[in-house]
Amino acid sequence: MTDTTDLLVIGAGPGGYACAFRAADLGLSVTLVDARDRLGGVCLNEGCIPSKALLHAAEIIREAQHMADWGITFGKPKLDLDALRAKKDEIVGHLTGGLTGLAGRRKVTTLQGKATLTGPNSAEIEGTQIRFDKAVIAVGSAPVQLPGWPEDDRIWDSTSALELRDVPKTLAIVGGGIIGLEMATVYCALGAEVTVVELADQIAPGADPQAVAILRDAQEAEGITIHTGTQVTEVTTTKATVTLTCTGAFEGQIKAKAVIQSVGRRANGDKVGAEAAGLSVSDRGVIEADATGATDVPSIFAIGDVTGNPMLAHRATHQGHIAAEVIAGHRAALETTLIPSVAYTSPELAWVGLTEAQAKAEGRNVKATSFPWAASGRNLASGGRDGLTKLVYDPATNRLLGASIVGRNAGELLAEVTLAIEMGARLDDIGLTIHAHPTLSETIAFAAERALGTLTDL
Amino acid sequence: MSDTIASPSTRRLAREQGVDIDALARKLGRTTISAEDISGSARPAASAGDTSYWDVDHSQYGPVTKEPMSRFAQVASKNLAAAQALIPAVTHHERADVSAIEALRKSWKAEAQARGVKLTALAFHVAALSRALRAFPRFNASLTPDGEDLVLKDYVHIGIAVDTPHGLMVPVIRDADRKGLWQIGAEIADLAGRAQARKVRQDEMGGASMTITNLGGIGGTAFTPIVNPPEVAILGITRTETVTHWDGDTPRPVPMVPLDLSYDHRVINGADAARFMTHYAGLIADPRNMLV
Repeated sequence: MTDTTDLLVIGAGPGGYACAFRAADLGLSVTLVDARDRLGGVCLNEGCIPSKALLHAAEIIREAQHMADWGITFGKPKLDLDALRAKKDEIVGHLTGGLTGLAGRRKVTTLQGKATLTGPNSAEIEGTQIRFDKAVIAVGSAPVQLPGWPEDDRIWDSTSALELRDVPKTLAIVGGGIIGLEMATVYCALGAEVTVVELADQIAPGADPQAVAILRDAQEAEGITIHTGTQVTEVTTTKATVTLTCTGAFEGQIKAKAVIQSVGRRANGDKVGAEAAGLSVSDRGVIEADATGATDVPSIFAIGDVTGNPMLAHRATHQGHIAAEVIAGHRAALETTLIPSVAYTSPELAWVGLTEAQAKAEGRNVKATSFPWAASGRNLASGGRDGLTKLVYDPATNRLLGASIVGRNAGELLAEVTLAIEMGARLDDIGLTIHAHPTLSETIAFAAERALGTLTDL
Repeated sequence: MSDTIASPSTRRLAREQGVDIDALARKLGRTTISAEDISGSARPAASAGDTSYWDVDHSQYGPVTKEPMSRFAQVASKNLAAAQALIPAVTHHERADVSAIEALRKSWKAEAQARGVKLTALAFHVAALSRALRAFPRFNASLTPDGEDLVLKDYVHIGIAVDTPHGLMVPVIRDADRKGLWQIGAEIADLAGRAQARKVRQDEMGGASMTITNLGGIGGTAFTPIVNPPEVAILGITRTETVTHWDGDTPRPVPMVPLDLSYDHRVINGADAARFMTHYAGLIADPRNMLV
């Protein structure tokens, strides 16, 4: 039996479902297929959303501890891991169930199974042939497995870490990027003694070093050990521990009850039979697509992590909408290069646009201005600790080019600067926009005013 | 990051309408592009926008040489392009019987020689046009650039387009309505001669009520001249030809001059143009009408 559809979307993550829903709204018949039994992909099922649930729990534990300074003392928190896991799963179930409802309302056909392309207009899903006019590959990415590591139940990737199997007494995290730092934040709060090993010279590589230093200090103050500039050369296991042998800035061994590998993600382009459709896949699993999502094969589009870095859900969603519009005959393309990054650590670290280092690498003359959160009334009154709002701008025009924010709710604050950059705002525009007092958002206006010489709060 | 500042919705609009936002910014000499710029640019961009296909390496087809456009020619070409693009112009075709004029010129030949003035057909046209402009004041007018007012002129100056080796020049005969044919003829000869030598002064050009462009000495049966703003009309003349005129059943050969009036339709309507040219043809056909 052969089914036919206008559009086959392979992968139901934030890119795939956004693409399928938009295409259906534009009048196409759409089939959405995913190997999971629930929609939402990695993001909803084992990524962004469950990690945020656990980070919220971690933050409450941490906040409760810090309230001792305020004369409010709680007892040591009692952890019911089964209940916490169930709560997390309930949230995930609620959201993925909601997606199923949204799909049904749009008459998007959803199929469970592994889809394999068999030609430029055909695919096979668990033995069923399906013919399509256009297909969108949105199969995402998977955690990188380091070569030479032993198979062991105590060696986790981000997916197994979010399953919350237990809280090991000691936990080593290899890879100090966003995912590794978030896991450190969760497990530290839950009681593990956490050590982070990062190959690069700073955690959150690519982020502004000044902002990262504040995050690092805060994480170390919570008891997390951080080794940057350090490489793991050997992993051995005994019955009692997993041992990491390290060289570099830190020389020695780290013994831990469990290890999380979080050294990045690899695109899943080689898992959909792309070659059968005439597509080439890079040795990193990436399928190249242009700003409209178009690949070398006219009937096939690709969006999200499978098209390479940055592998972020919000990028995939936008790419998905655009691919759907282009397939429905509209003129559209991803116009922007502004893709915000947020580490939901404690404190949060968020950045967008140009950093000073990037500008220097591009030979572009920029200046930076900042406002320290130690001078923010709202931050101090809310129990917030160190933080920084830093803006990068063009000194010739005062046009805002980038921002890095570290502190509580930095991820939420980032939206203002992202919109400001999209709109071509100058520091003057931000300074002249009235920000409510007292808020954390004021720090953005203060940073702008500081550069303009109109600041009276510092 | 693009150096052109435009909001995401403006960028989307540009893509939908096929407008290259960076190219538009360069064209407008701006760093910021708004949605209004996109909607306003959509139509000109379609008709006058992309000239990249004009840029051809002609030498691939055969030998070529290159000569620079003079500064004078570059200014003229800009003005002509603007006039053609911005003025909704219509060309009205008419012809006039020149038997009487030709007869007059013949009979005054001796006097012309005595005066040292060459009495050309063009002198009659200048005289006729200056009288016609007095009779039809809306043809002796200019529209303000904002299009809100019409400036009516209480003087009649006639521009004469002169073909010179260094380009087209338009010297002006001032107060032509108060000058006789001999004087007009003399001034045409003087200005045209000096134009050839590029010796016309700045104050002898500009401010015309209307311009005459006369190809009669060269040839042609009709053409569509481009209005020379801020004037609202231009009169083109081509070569006189003898046509068959029927007096009842009797054919009669009549020398007729073809006349082409291009006019700014914002100021002049077709019916007005037809009336104007009928009047004008009457002045040429019977120059005595210029006296009354």
